[in-house]
Amino acid sequence: MAATAMHKFPQDQYVDAVRWLPQLSPLDRFAVLALFDFDSDASSIQIHSLTPNPFSLQPQFSWSSPSRISSLKTSLFLQKPLIVASTAAGSLHLLFADSSDASFDSEVSLPEGTLHSVPASSVDLMDGGVECVTVGEDGKINLVGVGESNLSCRRLFDSGGLVSYTAARWASSVEFATGGYGFSLQWWDQRKPGGPVSNFKGNWDKKLSSGIVHSIDIHPSRKHTCLAGGSLGTVFAWDLRWQQQPIILSGAGAGTGSGNTMIQSICDSEVWEVQYDRCIKSNTSSTRILPSMICSEDGILAVIEQGEEPVELLAEACAINSFDIDRHNPSDVICSLEWEAVAILTRQ
Amino acid sequence: MPSDTVGNGALVPLTGDLPTVYPLHHGLASPICSLSISWSRGNTLHLSLFSATAAKVVEVKLTSEDPEIPDVHWRRIAYGSVAPFALLQSRRSSISALLKTPSPYHSDWWENVLQYSKEIGSLLGGSKLPPSPIIDDSKTIVKRDEEPTSLKAAWELIEIFYVDKQSQSWLPERLVDWLADYDSLLTSTHETIHGKLVDFQKELVNIQVIEDDPRYWELLSSALSVGWLDIVVKMLRLHGSYQLDQLSNREESELGVVLQTHHLVFQEREKLPPPRDMEHHIVLKEGVDPINSWCQESVTAERGATVERSTAVSSVSFSLVNGRDCIARIAALAGVLENGLVETVATLISKMPRFHPESVGKLGECYKSKPDFIKSWEKWRSQITKLDCSPFWIQCDNQQTVEGLRNLLQIMLGNTDSLCMATCYWIELYISHFLYIRPFTMGIESMCSLAQKCIQLKPQSNTHRLEGLMVGILEENTEVVLAECSREFGPWLVAHAIELLTAGSEQAEVLLHEQRYNLGGISIVELHRLVYAQILSSHALTWQIAPIYLTSCVKQGMGLLENLLYRQSIQHNNVLLKNIEICRLYELDHISSNIMKHGHKGAGVFWLQQAQDSSCLDRIAQQLFDSVGKSISDESFKQWEGMIELLGSESKPAGGLEFLHKYRDFKKSLQKVSVGKSTEIARQAVGSLMLVLLTLL
Repeated sequence: MAATAMHKFPQDQYVDAVRWLPQLSPLDRFAVLALFDFDSDASSIQIHSLTPNPFSLQPQFSWSSPSRISSLKTSLFLQKPLIVASTAAGSLHLLFADSSDASFDSEVSLPEGTLHSVPASSVDLMDGGVECVTVGEDGKINLVGVGESNLSCRRLFDSGGLVSYTAARWASSVEFATGGYGFSLQWWDQRKPGGPVSNFKGNWDKKLSSGIVHSIDIHPSRKHTCLAGGSLGTVFAWDLRWQQQPIILSGAGAGTGSGNTMIQSICDSEVWEVQYDRCIKSNTSSTRILPSMICSEDGILAVIEQGEEPVELLAEACAINSFDIDRHNPSDVICSLEWEAVAILTRQ
Repeated sequence: MPSDTVGNGALVPLTGDLPTVYPLHHGLASPICSLSISWSRGNTLHLSLFSATAAKVVEVKLTSEDPEIPDVHWRRIAYGSVAPFALLQSRRSSISALLKTPSPYHSDWWENVLQYSKEIGSLLGGSKLPPSPIIDDSKTIVKRDEEPTSLKAAWELIEIFYVDKQSQSWLPERLVDWLADYDSLLTSTHETIHGKLVDFQKELVNIQVIEDDPRYWELLSSALSVGWLDIVVKMLRLHGSYQLDQLSNREESELGVVLQTHHLVFQEREKLPPPRDMEHHIVLKEGVDPINSWCQESVTAERGATVERSTAVSSVSFSLVNGRDCIARIAALAGVLENGLVETVATLISKMPRFHPESVGKLGECYKSKPDFIKSWEKWRSQITKLDCSPFWIQCDNQQTVEGLRNLLQIMLGNTDSLCMATCYWIELYISHFLYIRPFTMGIESMCSLAQKCIQLKPQSNTHRLEGLMVGILEENTEVVLAECSREFGPWLVAHAIELLTAGSEQAEVLLHEQRYNLGGISIVELHRLVYAQILSSHALTWQIAPIYLTSCVKQGMGLLENLLYRQSIQHNNVLLKNIEICRLYELDHISSNIMKHGHKGAGVFWLQQAQDSSCLDRIAQQLFDSVGKSISDESFKQWEGMIELLGSESKPAGGLEFLHKYRDFKKSLQKVSVGKSTEIARQAVGSLMLVLLTLL
């Protein structure tokens, strides 16, 4: 695990988000970058192709976005790569890519104002790409049905801005989780509209002030556990079966909660993204939380596992704002750096 | 700006040219009735324009772009230099803490600075090895894998003179290397050897007989004068005498004339000679076999004293088969002699002793110790003198080759006039002095006077931006060097190169770190860091780096950092969080709590909690209390629930919110009562109600 090869690719633009495109064939590999040029105020989504020898990342196709991308996800829809992006202006864009060369085929979008009224919304795409959930700081939760030519949109909930949501993640075809201020998590079920099914407020530590959840992940094999990362280097898991007791995996508040003794904290600034690490086959008992990867504002990319020492994969001088683990080659990780660059790690 | 500025209330009287006018595209319909100008972050201006119906805020950037390096590259340099700079600062403070003296200078401090310098230098465009072509093109004389920049040239020049203590003794050789790398830069403003070589190379394919071209010899001597041995040897090998077919081409014309005039003589025999009037009989002695062989002539060319190449002719013998062959072979012999001379000179050039720590695949023999170098240098010189006096020059009949080669020898012998003729620019002449006239030099004082001499010999009408820097360094005037860096290369170079300037000299350290009254009590070092931080602050992507430089400024740094953080516009949550992170790092709590106060209702409460503003929270709680008191339907209570959840963390109950929190518990229990009808739950509900009432009291 320790041996990793890292390649950096300067972009000359700010990288807002980065994802792997679901692999079309074993030979072609593509990454999706959401870029923003501060000088010209132009933002775009670009598909870059990765070639192994010599190792290079070359832009192939570009689509210019009307506004800055705040959230980016990829999936497959009817055997076609699908990219979904929500923008800072509140619009939602779905880009269908060609299944042979990953060029942009078609685009469907919802204009700004239809979904969210304030900047910064988060989006998640259901596996198979049938439905999207978008949440925003304005407290609105929308479900968007995906079709190749049209989108159907309905509002599931509106808190009127009294509660803000910053992250969303599907758990099954009817359930999803959201995260927000005060380390709060909500569990939603489409069959039970009108409010969250379950609510969790992270106030396990009396001394420290609380923070924001930036990212959530749910493992397909453990739908009852919600993994969340947020402020103060906090990573915790919320098990629906033991609702008011979070399992803290890392962070400033670690070590104080009961049953969470001696937990290493790998960073103490914002954890921007968290994902289950599909590379490590955990052979530990099913009661333990599966290993996960995090990236942080203080430039750390690391793997954390309950009860183990964290493994640092990358320590940069600048923030790592997003990352993605390749589903088909889980040893490959792509991440975006604050200083206008993208890095690709290959773990041996 | 009014035209009568002088003495009429203007802070700084305008002098010189009229101010430049830049149009501003704001897109508002005229007339503009009001305009307000304020400073935004860094060097940007905030312009608020008001017309009768609309208003607009425009940001104006007050920086100019470098002609050589685009903004994007500047940002990359800025990002890359953060880590080395921070590392050097932390080493400096840890060393001075250890030694308990303010000055960290002890014997090996410069090694730290050198490491820093190398790291920064690599950012400015690495000297990456080009992928070597499979087939080496013999006609490519000048190779260039990457366009060098003046910035890197300036950085290396400062490094050579101020930091690298190990290379002090072979300073001249490092300057030779430096010129080889960066002579192409000077081409932009002057005629240089590099420029001439590039021009010549373009025409090379069209030149038939290269040694007949006077520019060939001219360039050979130029390249030799600045020590580009590889290029010289490669060019010498293009000489016609190496290619026999080309040689015969050259000789063809002369030979043709001879053959035509005496064509009878050179007729080939096809039968026995005709019978003559008298037949001479040679009576053989008994017992002797008839001799049956052609007469032989042997020509021996003496070897030049130092010719070592086996192909060079040492002794040539051939038999005279017939007339045509004879002439051709005589010509070939002359060609071989010519080639021998060319090769001798090429060998001498490639064996030139250099006082250099390591040979990096270049020609010339490197010596690390001075005595060895001096010994072999003298030997080498004597070989040249010997060759210069040898009789072969007279025997060789290609006058152009002889003159060209002898001129090369003159350069190697350090003939001032030849060197002056061969070089174009004063720096080139200066370097050639180190190579051939004063190879064993020298202290920096004599270097300076030599430079002045060279400038006099090669006066120039215009100057290159590197020139001023070079003169400043040679004059050992730190202030001039700084001024040149700042004027020609901008604040990045000054802020980072200051570390190099103080690397070895206590005096420079005192000069640059001394607090100055005319700078408002700050030192020169701090001033330049502040200026650089200001540039960084002007861009949305680089301002996050500025705190690193600001915090290394003792006097004004923190004040400017606070100012910078206050001026950040906050549109996105993530940017805000990044700001707060900086505040956390530098313990600026009061600023972060001010930044936090923005946003939506729910978000607002959260940020107020973060900012620990209890008075604000109490007021909000009071309002909430009032609105809840009016009446809330079950439907809207769903919305409020999350908010109350957020507000009423048990850890920090905020005023009346505590009530709401308990009210929520009561509401919940009540709902359960209506559903479940269990006495236990009902009791809980009553308990909750009691709590609510208690809080109200």
